[in-house]
Amino acid sequence: MHELSIALSLLEGINEAAERERITRVSSVRLRVGVLSGIAPDALRFSWDLASEDTIAAGSKLEIEEVPLVVMCQTCAARVTPLAGTGLVCPMCGSVCPNIVSGRELELVAMEVPT
Amino acid sequence: MKLRVVEIKANIMRKNDALAARLRERFAGAGTLAVNLLSSPGSGKTTLLEETLRRLSAHRKVAALVGDQATANDAERLQRSGAPVRQITTAAECRLDADMIEGALAGWEVGPLDALFVENVGNLICPAEYDLGEDLRVVLFSVTEGEDKPLKYPLAFNTSQVVLVTKCDIADAVGFNREAAYASLREVNPGIEIIELSARTGEGMERWMALLEGRIARKSAALALAPG
Repeated sequence: MHELSIALSLLEGINEAAERERITRVSSVRLRVGVLSGIAPDALRFSWDLASEDTIAAGSKLEIEEVPLVVMCQTCAARVTPLAGTGLVCPMCGSVCPNIVSGRELELVAMEVPT
Repeated sequence: MKLRVVEIKANIMRKNDALAARLRERFAGAGTLAVNLLSSPGSGKTTLLEETLRRLSAHRKVAALVGDQATANDAERLQRSGAPVRQITTAAECRLDADMIEGALAGWEVGPLDALFVENVGNLICPAEYDLGEDLRVVLFSVTEGEDKPLKYPLAFNTSQVVLVTKCDIADAVGFNREAAYASLREVNPGIEIIELSARTGEGMERWMALLEGRIARKSAALALAPG
């Protein structure tokens, strides 16, 4: 859905880092994408191929690490992952855990460049 | 070919987040309450906003920005309320972002506002990711939608402070299961304020208007107390 604009933001981040590090070619890009972010990895890869055309990242591979949803359960005093489709509910005790620890990430982690 | 890894560690949303922070400062400086309305298509957002603007315009200075992928139909409908309205046509984009809000506000001579409403593009996925500098995020949940909607789109409901259960005049007719709907709301956001209303019959509108009046008063009081 908004993968193309995410791909363009990604490219901006790559360009900034490339300028800083005097890099002229990028072979792959590592990302962390939370399951709650609304990003479909395949759609992002497709958008990336379009967005990166004729740039230093043309033809580069997107390595997407999907970050699971983790919430803090106050009752169990533990970080837990709710079962799919149950909202933010602790799978151990059933209490609602509105504090999201991870799962919203949209992070540009690193890039691989030819030496 | 030998490769080396260059660490970056940057949040892709940081540009939007920075622009949103700038908008938030601007709204604080003007004492304007900013409200971001999220919903699925067809949940009654435009009808609700038209009625909200009409009621508030009687004694408050209010305006609205309306996001849609195409057409200016919603802006034309909302203008009937008497409040200034500007359409943002997003074309390929499925959500509004802070940059679009800043662009729409530029050169818009509406004067100081008590409240600015932003009707986001009808979609519960992408808009949830984008901070628009709002004070209040409100999600609509019409009685014709499935009771498990909050579980399907947890982020939209988790990041909102208020949920408006719309079209409640037809709740019985469509067999709306209140208990199931509220249980799934609480599963993603136990603190969310729930207001049932119908913009058509006016039922529940008073509670919604009282909430807005309270928030508007607080926002302008904060401005009066601000140093300088």
